[in-house]
Amino acid sequence: MPAPLAPLTLEIVVLLLGIVLLGFESFSKGGDRGWMARWSVAILSVVFAWSFFTTGDTGVDPSHAFYCADPLALFFKRIALLTTIIVMVISLEFRPVLEKFIPGIQPGSGTGEFFALPVFTCAGLMFMASAVDFLLIFVALELVTISFYVLVAYMRRQNASLEAGVKYLILGALSTGFLVYGITWIFGLTGETNLARITQVLPSLLAEGGRLHGSESALLFALMLLLIALGFKVAAAPLQFWVPDVYQGAPTPVTAFLSVGSKAAGFIVLARVLQTVVFLPSIAPKVLSVLGLLAVLTLLYGNLAALPQDNLKRMLAYSSIGHAGYLLVAFASIDPAAGNLYRTQTAIGFYLFGYLLMTLLSFLVMTVVSRHSRGDDIVHFNGLSKRSPFLAFGMLIAMLSLAGIPFTAGFYGKLLVFSTAIARQNFLLVSVGIITVAAGFYFYLKVVSAMYWKEPTEDQPVTASGLTKFTVAALCTAIFYFGIFPQSLLSMLPSDKAAPVAVSPAPHK
Amino acid sequence: MDPHLPWFVLLNPLLTAALIHLALRRAPAAATGLSVLSAVLGLITAIGIWFSGTPSAPIEISWIQLASLRIPIGLLVDPLSKVMLLVVTGVGALVHIYSTVYMAKDESKGRFFGNLSLFMFSMLGIVLANNFAMMFIFWELVGVSSYLLIGHWFTRDSAAAAANKAFLTNRIGDFGFMLGILLLWSASGTVVFPELAAKIGSLNLSAGFLTAAVLLVFCGAVGKSAQLPLHVWLPDAMEGPTPVSALIHAATMVAAGVYMLARISFLITLSPAAQSVIAWIGILTAVFAALLATQQDDIKRILAYSTLSQLGYMVSAIGLAAPGAAMFHLFTHAFFKALLFLGAGAIIHALHHEQNIWKMGGLAKSMRLTFLTFALGYLALIGCPGLSGFFSKDLILLAAWQQSKPVFALGLFTALLTAFYMTRLFVVVFLGQPRSAAAEHGHDGPVAMTAPLTLLALLSVVAGWPFIGHTLMGHDLAEGLHKIHAGGGAETVMSLATAAFFVGGAIALALYSKAKRDPLRIAPLQNKFYIDEIYAAFISATQDLLASVSNWIDRWILDGMLVRGLSGATWGTGFLLRFLQFGNLQAYAFLFGLGVVVLIYLMALR
Repeated sequence: MPAPLAPLTLEIVVLLLGIVLLGFESFSKGGDRGWMARWSVAILSVVFAWSFFTTGDTGVDPSHAFYCADPLALFFKRIALLTTIIVMVISLEFRPVLEKFIPGIQPGSGTGEFFALPVFTCAGLMFMASAVDFLLIFVALELVTISFYVLVAYMRRQNASLEAGVKYLILGALSTGFLVYGITWIFGLTGETNLARITQVLPSLLAEGGRLHGSESALLFALMLLLIALGFKVAAAPLQFWVPDVYQGAPTPVTAFLSVGSKAAGFIVLARVLQTVVFLPSIAPKVLSVLGLLAVLTLLYGNLAALPQDNLKRMLAYSSIGHAGYLLVAFASIDPAAGNLYRTQTAIGFYLFGYLLMTLLSFLVMTVVSRHSRGDDIVHFNGLSKRSPFLAFGMLIAMLSLAGIPFTAGFYGKLLVFSTAIARQNFLLVSVGIITVAAGFYFYLKVVSAMYWKEPTEDQPVTASGLTKFTVAALCTAIFYFGIFPQSLLSMLPSDKAAPVAVSPAPHK
Repeated sequence: MDPHLPWFVLLNPLLTAALIHLALRRAPAAATGLSVLSAVLGLITAIGIWFSGTPSAPIEISWIQLASLRIPIGLLVDPLSKVMLLVVTGVGALVHIYSTVYMAKDESKGRFFGNLSLFMFSMLGIVLANNFAMMFIFWELVGVSSYLLIGHWFTRDSAAAAANKAFLTNRIGDFGFMLGILLLWSASGTVVFPELAAKIGSLNLSAGFLTAAVLLVFCGAVGKSAQLPLHVWLPDAMEGPTPVSALIHAATMVAAGVYMLARISFLITLSPAAQSVIAWIGILTAVFAALLATQQDDIKRILAYSTLSQLGYMVSAIGLAAPGAAMFHLFTHAFFKALLFLGAGAIIHALHHEQNIWKMGGLAKSMRLTFLTFALGYLALIGCPGLSGFFSKDLILLAAWQQSKPVFALGLFTALLTAFYMTRLFVVVFLGQPRSAAAEHGHDGPVAMTAPLTLLALLSVVAGWPFIGHTLMGHDLAEGLHKIHAGGGAETVMSLATAAFFVGGAIALALYSKAKRDPLRIAPLQNKFYIDEIYAAFISATQDLLASVSNWIDRWILDGMLVRGLSGATWGTGFLLRFLQFGNLQAYAFLFGLGVVVLIYLMALR
């Protein structure tokens, strides 16, 4: 059946692109590699457009598939593609800085992998979006993580980048260990690695007379190991210690990629894993309460620790922890009686899409400005409105949306997340959420005040390439468009009205 | 009806405003032309809408769709909004044309016309909105655009302050409005007017809840329509250019409150308690403002207080369960009050921005056409039999007569006061001899100024004639008017109102036809003025007291304890959290492990 495999062609094209790029880097002479990024942007854009013509349902028996392409998976594939495209645009702006810290025979040589590896990461993220078997989850996750190890440490002559690379490698390996250990426990308990099969066998195993009856602790322990590994990927407290140092040390485009792509993929895997257990009455309350605890800690840590920061890149690192907290609120507010995760899936899908727009917009503007100002502290943004009104406006929109001002995509995402919590009457989560939103206003608007109300320290104008300007304008428009007309995005996400597809187990009341 | 027509009416001024602000600010001639063209097109379309039937299907596009909340962007075209469309686009188009002369020499003409178009967009949004949420958004947009227009000459401190005052006072009312909307939504689960109307009867809401909800929504009208105690912004708003005063502060924005109340009259009738509060606030505003109007010297301020007073009538009519009468008076008032403001503008323009009536006089000879049209507007306002104001005011008084004699007595007294202060204004400005050098050089404006005056004068005469007014009002509203008329007491009320007109006019004529010869003769009247100043001082003293109390609360409790305390505590926590981040890899791995142990304990072992 060729039609059901159509979505897989997306990944195949992306992988081929990566291999071709890598081949060019290996077998051609050195020189400027900017064309690689531009070609990637063009081809990935075509793949992104193509994704709207692929069929959404699997047609394959879910119990035997490694791979599913339900609407949610397609949606997250688009997030991965869009992220990679914008990261490539950021990379183009970042090239001068990169070349300074790469030893090479001639300027620009040795930067090819920097444009090829993100394409592989993108393929990994797309596989993660579709993975419904622990084996594929693990392989895809490692494809992503190993590319990131290289990318984080890419600026070999800069100590900060190397240090970040080492920290990420060691702590990442630690979390991978937990993941594999968790998977083996699950396999040991159920004899399965396929999520749909696990969902099918678990109720009978836990029921009276089943092999696991009375020993839920073993299953909980396995789940906890998985939760820790995924919590590490999405930077949930208390597993977030690596984030500020790694984000600050890594090359800026890689930081942007980490904070959006890696997080989005982590959350969709978390959603798929939770779907297997969250409807089991003996398991759900504990899992949800731990998720709630993670959400509270993450919200508080991310938003409060961001307050005193005066380096923008580091502040955005903390802010990305904070946003993971809001997403966890949606997970902690899953309704076990609902029989599906549509509410949560819709909330995190919309939230992550908005988060993609505003975070990548701020990283893009930051890259341009810090190249001109030679630094990414908030003081380097002083008076940006006079040096480049356009970029300052872009940054303003990004900050307003991150803070959650109405009529931006960021606001509507928060609204959806909080409405899941209110529906479950999780008022503790809502109130912590609202307090941290208020804290968020402070540090996001600090950037705005620097740009608009402080005198510039230098006065030469900040210039950007045409592609960058176009991207900034497109992102600003999208932030407002989806903030005002959220329906166009929500219709792509699963809702109660849509027929359930792929792995959705029967509800257990 | 073609559903594109209302969309065009709504969106064409927005497009115009956007074009002007984005591209034409430095091309004033093009901006003026475009803005006037858009206003005239709006009027033509509104007339087209009036002649076509009501749309069969609701005109809406889905906007927000959450589980329990549906907010469409929808347009409601019914007799009520059709009449209001005519008023807004009609007066709007005339004011646009008039402004081309009045603002001819203004340096930032482009900005002015851009903002005027923005205002038209916001106001038409209120008129056409089919749900509370959308109406609230446009409600705020009207606040913003009127802020921009009042503060057009923002380099003058008084104009900037007036713009602030108008905006802030409105916000107070809007807060109540928002709470009211939320209450209604929480009870009925919908914000769409037709759905709310269909649902509200079957909900069995308690009387207290309904009264609270209606009164909170009414707060919004109190702010926009400048009723007691939020009336303070309107007289100050006269700092804006006079065409703005005519458009915003006579015909449209201030009428929005009354229009909104008429739109939700199905709700108001459910709560008798709220009805009587609304009726009393309206009529008290009418008396209070009329009293103040008798002592003003600034021609625009007299008209502003008069507007307050007339709006009081309309609000009171809503409280008397006569929304038809309120809309009828709104309709006629829009024409004659816009005429009076534009006439005053013509005088101010000719006299080089002189606004004090005691420095005018004898303008009847030098400004012939302005005098004649102003006279018609004046007679319509004070209820001269046969002119539009007479019919509409008479209906409100009749409704009061039938339901509450005290309200009727106050309404009649207001009618007398109205005749008095308007005759004073008219006599002092137009009759006698010029009392200043500027007044000797009065002259009529060019055609773009006199043509709107003439048209409005014609409308001021005929708009109230039953066969014209009732046709324009549409079947449903006219039905309500007939019902009031048939309710009894029509002859008594009409003769009493006519008597009030003659008595008030005669007293003023007797007093001021002498005063014009000898200005010193007004000294006894100044005593009356002092009483009001004491009253004003009393108000300002309470305001000062309230201000200092709230200042104290703000400074020590809100700012000191809540804001500083909270922000200090949050910042401090953040500062401490930063120390967890010491950059040492082993420590991170240790903390990671610690987190793992704690989580596993919580999940699996506890």
